[in-house]
Amino acid sequence: MNRAIFRLSLACLVMFVLLMINVNYVQAFQSSSLADRPGNSRVFYQQFQYKRGSIVAVGDGGATKIAESRLVKGGHGTYKRYYPDGPAYAPVTGFDSIFSKTGIEGTENKELSGTAPALEVHNLISLITGKPKLGATVSVTLSAAAQQAAYKALASSGHEGAVVALNPRTGAILTMASYPSYNPNAYTTLNGDKLDKIDTANRKNPGQPLLNRALQATYPPGSTFKIVTSSAAFSTHRVASPSSPVDAPPSLPLGNGNSLINDDNETCGDGHPPIIEAFLLSCNTAFGKLGQQLGGAKLRQYANKFGFNTAHEVPLATVPSVIPKVTDPAFEAFTAIGQYNDSVTPMQEAMLSAAIANGGTLMKPYLVQQVQAPDLSAIDTAQPTVLSRPVTSTVAGYMTQMMKQVTQNPAGTAYATANSSVAGVEIAGKTGTAQNGVNNTGLDDAVFTCFAPADNPRIAVGVIVKGGGFGAAAAAPIAVQVIRAYLKLP
Amino acid sequence: MTDLSAAYSAPPREDEQPVPMPRGRRRTELLMLGFAVVVVVLAYACAGLGLNGRLPASLPLYCVLFAAIVGVAHLAVRRFVPWADPLMLPLAAMLNGLGVVMIWRLQQSGRGGNPGVVIGTLSTSSTLLQLVWSAVGVAAFIAVLMVIREPRTLQRYTYTLGAVGLVLLAIPALLPASLSETQGAKVWIKLGGFSIQPGEFAKLALAVFFAGYLVSKRDVLSLAGRRVLGIDLPRARDLGPVLIAWAASLLILFFETDIGTSALFFGMFVAMIYIATQRTSWLLIGFFLFIGGSWLAGTIIPHVESRFTAWLHPFAGNNAATSSFQLVQGLEGMGFGGIFGTGLGHGQPYWTPLVQSDFIMTAFGEELGLTGLMALLLLFGLLVQRGLRAAVAVKDPFAKLLAGGLSFVLALQVFVIVGGVTDLIPLTGITTPFLSQGGSSLVASWALVGLLMRVSNSARKPAPQPIQDEGMTQVVRTG
Repeated sequence: MNRAIFRLSLACLVMFVLLMINVNYVQAFQSSSLADRPGNSRVFYQQFQYKRGSIVAVGDGGATKIAESRLVKGGHGTYKRYYPDGPAYAPVTGFDSIFSKTGIEGTENKELSGTAPALEVHNLISLITGKPKLGATVSVTLSAAAQQAAYKALASSGHEGAVVALNPRTGAILTMASYPSYNPNAYTTLNGDKLDKIDTANRKNPGQPLLNRALQATYPPGSTFKIVTSSAAFSTHRVASPSSPVDAPPSLPLGNGNSLINDDNETCGDGHPPIIEAFLLSCNTAFGKLGQQLGGAKLRQYANKFGFNTAHEVPLATVPSVIPKVTDPAFEAFTAIGQYNDSVTPMQEAMLSAAIANGGTLMKPYLVQQVQAPDLSAIDTAQPTVLSRPVTSTVAGYMTQMMKQVTQNPAGTAYATANSSVAGVEIAGKTGTAQNGVNNTGLDDAVFTCFAPADNPRIAVGVIVKGGGFGAAAAAPIAVQVIRAYLKLP
Repeated sequence: MTDLSAAYSAPPREDEQPVPMPRGRRRTELLMLGFAVVVVVLAYACAGLGLNGRLPASLPLYCVLFAAIVGVAHLAVRRFVPWADPLMLPLAAMLNGLGVVMIWRLQQSGRGGNPGVVIGTLSTSSTLLQLVWSAVGVAAFIAVLMVIREPRTLQRYTYTLGAVGLVLLAIPALLPASLSETQGAKVWIKLGGFSIQPGEFAKLALAVFFAGYLVSKRDVLSLAGRRVLGIDLPRARDLGPVLIAWAASLLILFFETDIGTSALFFGMFVAMIYIATQRTSWLLIGFFLFIGGSWLAGTIIPHVESRFTAWLHPFAGNNAATSSFQLVQGLEGMGFGGIFGTGLGHGQPYWTPLVQSDFIMTAFGEELGLTGLMALLLLFGLLVQRGLRAAVAVKDPFAKLLAGGLSFVLALQVFVIVGGVTDLIPLTGITTPFLSQGGSSLVASWALVGLLMRVSNSARKPAPQPIQDEGMTQVVRTG
């Protein structure tokens, strides 16, 4: 009988070996795929047991915490997310809720939660030394002063709108404000039903507080698109210099029986003004004519160089600003003055000025300056990169001259609201007032794009206030406040 | 005249090897038992530190209780089975102790990890209750050692115990569902707040019955019938017992919807018939009967069918939220623990339903990691190996069969439940010996170890020394 017992022993051995192989498979090999399974409650609740990294705004040279995890008592988790100035920074931080993560909380989740591959060595050391696991700190390029000024200015305007400010030399995003906004602190609840209610209320809110208008909403650019039209005209040598005259008829026939006129039927100089005059007065007929002469394809080509028709990632995704393909002379004229189907994001508005301010070189906009491991060593630092070179530095110089006149010439559209004595700094900009709604019955959208100081640009700003009225009146003052905050003007 | 006493104590002569006296190795056992107690105490302390950051207040009480319980077991071993294997008791004690620690840890967390929110199946007194059951288990262990002085005395009760086993098995099937059913398996006797699983004890009774029956019938059963494909088939008329066992296990399956217990009984029977007859044909017949039975059950009983689906496709479609929810929770727990585990008290095993009973191994996998799970499997493996070793060493065929069958059924039980919760085989709800919450399983497991130690004692006990020195008789003179 011993031979049979021996064989049964082998059978027992086989059973135990099978069990051991299987647990090795589950715990050593299947482990990560199990962790990635949606609905894994352990992985889900674990995130609240570790201190998630902070999001810090470093654009001012300081370090302002805009999202951090704080110790709380009771419940599943030990840590809870807190957004000190929630609504102002919500378009950037997004929220970290039990169902989803948006904004930087979403795009930089692996770094913030400490699961990024670059943090594995740190985690291992923490494990061995018995220290608690910590997430990495994400530094964003925002200037706290400019961001707060932008949000405050938008909120006091009472209109829906957004502001984006860029460092033209690097592409660093200094401001990204959207109004109306929401309070991301409301999303940190661990109560699923409560969260669902809050989220549903925000989604049903006609003010669309969750919409990040800076990147995700488009508006007609209005006359600010004349920057692209002018740039195309200079670059193609159709117009030699800012003092070269352009055709500005009182009424521009569109070829379909209708004709284009200037605002309030104004004339534009003597009908053949230098382009700089047409620009500072923002004559529609002059640029409509230029648009017809350049053609829809050329307009679109230059618009694309400025970043139109592309979805950017900063790393938050933008929707593309659109310049459609047009061949009809009527639509060419409308497109050239930023009407018809043209649409821009506030980000694109800032990019227009940033490209001119940086001598014709458009830097890729970015939001994440640095990712710091818990031991403060940098595991990732942003390297500014060139996105495109829409115009030469000569053309950029011409454009700067013209944009300066908009604010500095008493006849300029933004003289009243953005001249040097009002702003405390020389600003170069362009206003836009876009008619919209059926038969242009809607309130005008106010648009302003600018950079400052004009001769040594440090900040480029794009502002859109929906239904704000005139660009110079509604949008330019907001840009001025942002510039003043960033440049720390008294 | 030669001095008699001098002759007895005379040193052995140079040309003669001293007869090596096998030692009982009780000191080894005490040392290992001490080690087991230390491991359990440290595990308890770790769980307390992990959960609350401080040592549990009940640490001294529970530790003294536990040490006292296993200490008494050790004294009983010294008294009743001084020659028994020194590893079995420490192995059983360590498994039992770790099970209690895990149950305490799970009870501390409560439902969904919220302390104080009581899990229905895990009351606030679960730990103390499990300790009391441990004491009862050790009492049963001692009772087995005391009452059964020789393994073969059990042989007398072959048919009595067979009947007892069958009755115990049948009771839950005959009782109304309200008194016998939990989680789709009808294997309980529930009286008031008190429930026992008679199947656990039936396992022991039937092991004795099979051993006794097979010892008497092994010659007949070994007779070869027809030879097919190089395998000697038994004679058709000898197929009776195996068919009866098969039918009985199928009946358990149908009436108690308990595929696990049914597999255990049938597996134990086939293993024992194989030991008795050494005929591979019995293994093959058993194997095919089992496969056929499982297939039949899978197609007829929805409960069994859903277990099969959950096993094959735990993550497919909606399964992870429904039929394989528990399994997936257990797997996720094990995956969460990874290689080194989260540490006792640091994991979240409370997400797995019934983690304190069927799924307790996944809780160990989560908090002690692959490392801890491998160690626990080795503990079980060692216990099985010590049992099989006793079976090999013992001379009495009845004891040999009994120890072989019991060791095998222990291995099979571990395989069925651990394989089930780790998705190696379809999940069947049986307890993990020594670890799972529940008195029946614990008491039966201790009794099983008692039987194995009794057999081991017989195997290792030195034979009475025959008086070999003829010369001694010559010095006695009469007259």
